[in-house]
Amino acid sequence: MADVLTETVQPEDLKRFEKIYHEQLYRNDVTPKAQFEYGWCLVRSKYSADIKKGIILLEELYRTHEEGQRDYLYYLAIGNARLKEYSKALSYVRSFLSIEPGNQQVINLHQTIKKKMEKEGLVGMAMAGGVVLAVGAIVGFGMAIASKVKS
Amino acid sequence: MDEDILTTLKLLIIGESGVGKSSLLLRFTEDNFDPEQTLTIGVDFKTKRLSIDDNTVKLAIWDTAGQERFRSLTPSYYRDAQGAVLVFDVSSYSTFAKLEKWLLELDTYSTKSNIVKMIVGNKIDVDNREVSREEAMKFARRHQTLYIEASAKTKDGVQCAFEELVHKIIQTPLWESYADNGLQIGNKDHPAESSCGYCTLS
Ligand SMILES: Nc1nc2c(ncn2[C@@H]2O[C@H](COP(=O)(O)OP(=O)(O)OP(=O)(O)O)[C@@H](O)[C@H]2O)c(=O)[nH]1
Ligand SMILES: [Mg+2]
Repeated sequence: MADVLTETVQPEDLKRFEKIYHEQLYRNDVTPKAQFEYGWCLVRSKYSADIKKGIILLEELYRTHEEGQRDYLYYLAIGNARLKEYSKALSYVRSFLSIEPGNQQVINLHQTIKKKMEKEGLVGMAMAGGVVLAVGAIVGFGMAIASKVKS
Repeated sequence: MDEDILTTLKLLIIGESGVGKSSLLLRFTEDNFDPEQTLTIGVDFKTKRLSIDDNTVKLAIWDTAGQERFRSLTPSYYRDAQGAVLVFDVSSYSTFAKLEKWLLELDTYSTKSNIVKMIVGNKIDVDNREVSREEAMKFARRHQTLYIEASAKTKDGVQCAFEELVHKIIQTPLWESYADNGLQIGNKDHPAESSCGYCTLS
């Protein structure tokens, strides 16, 4: 059964938001809304190339658009978990929880990621990755990935 | 006891931001209430096992964010839902007035033509009520949906709302396509008794 880590975006939704984003990109006037909507679709794609692209868009938003940072962190955690980049996903979850420790939705996501790792026999790695990264550190982290992909 | 689970039903929760959708879900799935419940980001998801009408079903419940900035994408989660809970806050008339729009959106984006709808008037524990039970029931009847009053805070009506909805889904003829899963359905000409007769249904 599909959950937040396995449900996938409808191709027509992805296309619709891709078009809006690209039209704005062409005019050199991308709004955070269009970038977020396209990124949100991309991280729900069944193709990992799309998810990676979505992560780059969300990382950029996270650095440049303070207002939506919680939203971006949440979908960055989801995107990374879908790519099986569990230590990254968990560090996004932990940064979120260090700011909002009682957030049910993110606690829930944390459980879902851990269950998925258990299923894949990766529990030991979860322990190894158990370092809480400060949000600042993640920003740097994100930039490093973004620049690596671009070059 | 996974082998006892016969099938999974997909449910949706929709409505304006702050009416208590996530709180109702938290009460239903974990029997808990958080006065500082934070607004949902995009869409949240929870599962719950429910025994009803001699069947055990697994519910996959998608809890959508009511905030405007998520609205363009939340309808993409409506696909294949068998039931929808439409929530308003009885102490806020504007959230009730918006139900019409939510029903329309559901009709536009849900892919199952006979999706079962349940309207829940939440926060009946508060003093300054702005929507009367009569008005809400009239509205529900006009739109052929179920109606239940609830409070995620005090628990009133919450279990009942979900049970009624599932009960109704199981009774809908649509269900027949799932019958070869081994689910025993009530005779649809003689629907089974309401599973929780104590609650307000229109
Ligand atoms: N008094 C009272 N307060 C409630 C009840 N249900 C929810 N609340 C409060 O109302 C506020 C909003 O509840 P949420 O469950 O987050 O609302 P929501 O509909 O999920 O909002 P979005 O996620 O933005 O769509 C929180 O402060 C809850 O504690 C209730 O039955 N009674
Ligand atoms: Mg919510």
